[in-house]
Amino acid sequence: MAKDHRAGSKVKGDKLPAIVMASDLLEGDTVFLAETGWTRDSKAARIAHDQESADAMEAEGKAAAAANAVVDPYLVPVEITEEGHPLARHFRDVMRQKGPSIHPDMGKQADFGPIA
Amino acid sequence: MTVITPEGERRDAYRLIETTEDAKAPAGNAAGSKPLVPLALLGEIETPEAPFGLFVENTAEIAEIAPHLGSVDLIAIAFPAFSDGRGFSLAKRLRREGFTGTLRAKGPLIADQFADALACGFDEVDIPDTMANRQPVQQWLEMKDTMSVHYQTGFGEGKSILQQRMAAREEAAR
Amino acid sequence: MYRYDEFDERFVRERVAQFGEQVKRRLDGSLTEDEFKPLRLKNGLYLQLHAYMLRVAIPYGTLSGRQLRQLAKIARDYDKGYGHFTTRQNIQFNWPKLKDVPAILDLLADVEMHAIQTSGNCIRNTTADQFSGVAADEVEDPRPTAELLRQWSSQHPEFVWLPRKFKIAVTGAEHDRAAIRVHDIGLRMRRNEAGEPGYEISVGGGLGRTPMIGKVIREFLPKDELLAYVEAIMRVYNAEGRRDNKFKARVKILVHETGTEEFTARVEEEYAKLDGPTVNAPLEEVERIAAYFAPPAYEDLPAESVTLGEARKADAGLDRFVEQNGFAHKQPGYIALTISLKPIGGVPGDMSADQMEAFADIAERYSLGELRVTHSQNLVLPYVKKDDLPALYAELKTHDLATANAGLVTDIIACPGLDYCALATAKSIPIAQEIAKTFADDARQKAIGELPIKISGCINACGHHHVGAIGILGLEKGGRENYQITVGGDATEHASLGERLGPGIDAEDVPGAIEALVETYLSEREGSESFIETVRRTGADPFKASFAGFIETRAAQEAAE
Repeated sequence: MAKDHRAGSKVKGDKLPAIVMASDLLEGDTVFLAETGWTRDSKAARIAHDQESADAMEAEGKAAAAANAVVDPYLVPVEITEEGHPLARHFRDVMRQKGPSIHPDMGKQADFGPIA
Repeated sequence: MTVITPEGERRDAYRLIETTEDAKAPAGNAAGSKPLVPLALLGEIETPEAPFGLFVENTAEIAEIAPHLGSVDLIAIAFPAFSDGRGFSLAKRLRREGFTGTLRAKGPLIADQFADALACGFDEVDIPDTMANRQPVQQWLEMKDTMSVHYQTGFGEGKSILQQRMAAREEAAR
Repeated sequence: MYRYDEFDERFVRERVAQFGEQVKRRLDGSLTEDEFKPLRLKNGLYLQLHAYMLRVAIPYGTLSGRQLRQLAKIARDYDKGYGHFTTRQNIQFNWPKLKDVPAILDLLADVEMHAIQTSGNCIRNTTADQFSGVAADEVEDPRPTAELLRQWSSQHPEFVWLPRKFKIAVTGAEHDRAAIRVHDIGLRMRRNEAGEPGYEISVGGGLGRTPMIGKVIREFLPKDELLAYVEAIMRVYNAEGRRDNKFKARVKILVHETGTEEFTARVEEEYAKLDGPTVNAPLEEVERIAAYFAPPAYEDLPAESVTLGEARKADAGLDRFVEQNGFAHKQPGYIALTISLKPIGGVPGDMSADQMEAFADIAERYSLGELRVTHSQNLVLPYVKKDDLPALYAELKTHDLATANAGLVTDIIACPGLDYCALATAKSIPIAQEIAKTFADDARQKAIGELPIKISGCINACGHHHVGAIGILGLEKGGRENYQITVGGDATEHASLGERLGPGIDAEDVPGAIEALVETYLSEREGSESFIETVRRTGADPFKASFAGFIETRAAQEAAE
């Protein structure tokens, strides 16, 4: 079947550092792979700085999808802000990380304050 | 592979002939004694004793199948993926052509499609064991009966909603 | 309006229970995500960027006040207090949770609604003219046909696993307000030379990656043969439509690659073989459905209202509202009204739960309890007495529902775009908001006149950009959002596809580019020509020239900075 959910966004150049983003199966909202388990606050997302960690995190994401916890996990290239938080490099991933641009009162930006 | 009918799981009486070599193997009397012959192989092997099973792709033309209708008692239609619905239309056309034998949907269908498959003229499904492990026979039987009404006349058993309305009106007019 | 009988009710209730079971089987691992996805889509449930999204069917755009009130309740209890009306006359909720969806579907069933087949590779909600039954130019009411098709297509055993989605639209008027020529099947109700009712049938229209205008494959099909003929089309498509490439799977590609003549022959061959009388709805059933759409008990009124006439003289706002949003009614003394969901700077098609409740009351007091949803993401009050208009207008104003811009440059169609949609490549809503702000001035809008602008945030074209007089398509280019502009598209009976003006531009340049195109129109137009009429006469060249000029000026400005 043709995919109708476009997981992953194209970013040119180095794909690191990176975090893993997915949708929670039951709630449907965006979740981020944390040091243990998943978090809804991207500031608490685990960051892969090398390929080995990224591969391990991606595998963890896939295992969580197979265990029916999350849907469509994928690695998201990020930059690190001055505060040390990950910020997605592609505008689509930023939209998921923050919430709708037209509704600052909704999504993660509303739940956890300004992302970056 | 697991064969599921509306009455439950059934032993498969057919043996898929995949190569000309297979066709030469002795049939025996055990399970799977009747050959299930792919349409493409039919001209290349010695035609089995009728009645036998015919295995067709979901792209097969009625004109290719029609000459064999008299000598087969089962036609298995391939479902390469559960989301590929061509087999439903082919089943409908085969029934229209007058085929009264067993129609089998063969492939990774899901239990949620059982009722639709039966309504289009199938009698049974033949699913990979990996699918049957995830969706056991009981699920197939339960999903089959989740809907008790349908709108389309000419599909499935029992009267369509349109026919039931007509009957109710006639009843009321009496 | 159509009302469910015991069978419709049972069908929808059982389907809700079935979906509840499917959710459980997804959670216990019986169904994988790949298997569950098409099942949830066929129940209207998407997984978008921030949350699940539930698309609720509004059959042929007809709603009662009671139903709208229930939608408000769902928006408040299970969402974030609003809903979004779509270009296919449906409504979407942007924030439901999977675990709540069965409960939401139950609430819908309570008011004879559902979300069945609002997505997925199956026959979708049949759409129709929003002025059905009331339009002065109507030949025949398309709603009974649309309802018959709704029932027939609901969980059709053979046609729920099609190569791709399939959309049917019906119109019964001279002027096509249902965009039938850009649908997979377009039905135009007509009469033959003997005066018998029937349909002209076109197949293979559609937008998306390869936009096409539908081809007429039957000039006249007797009315009572509809279901059998549609079944023949569906069977040919289901059996032969391409499944090797998602972007070539719509029936328009099959018609195009096969050739209209050959495709028609295959449909006719199939039609000749199938047993029509067993498929078609019996006359009694057609009449039973049609009876629900009989004209309401209109009051005997003079064609013109003295009350309204005087009020219009006294209130310029009311006068402008009636002039712009009023629509000629077939019944003397009545008017149909477009209620714009495009306030300047708002989200096109969005309505708050408060507004829905207020509007449900309004529809009950002023429009016999009925309202319509249009494919241009607005609402319609179909049965308004002209005498009531001054009081109605005052109420609409208090709820911010009296924007007098129907059909104007600020009445913009926009898909949700990247703000919500998992498929989007660029934002759509903010572009609409900026254009509307640019043209906010009422006098300026009026001077420009009718100008449908349509914006899509990806190639799938939910915002119908191909058939906008001005179309805007948002894509990704070099890691940035980039917008292509077209002119000359038209979704009416003069259906045509827009022509691209030049290279894509940045988001912040879009309003300026639209202004340049509008200036070109104003200088080129002859007499009372609308924008699209001018484009048809002049061709795209003058617009290409001004667009190129705009880009040049912008480049010079940026170089200076």
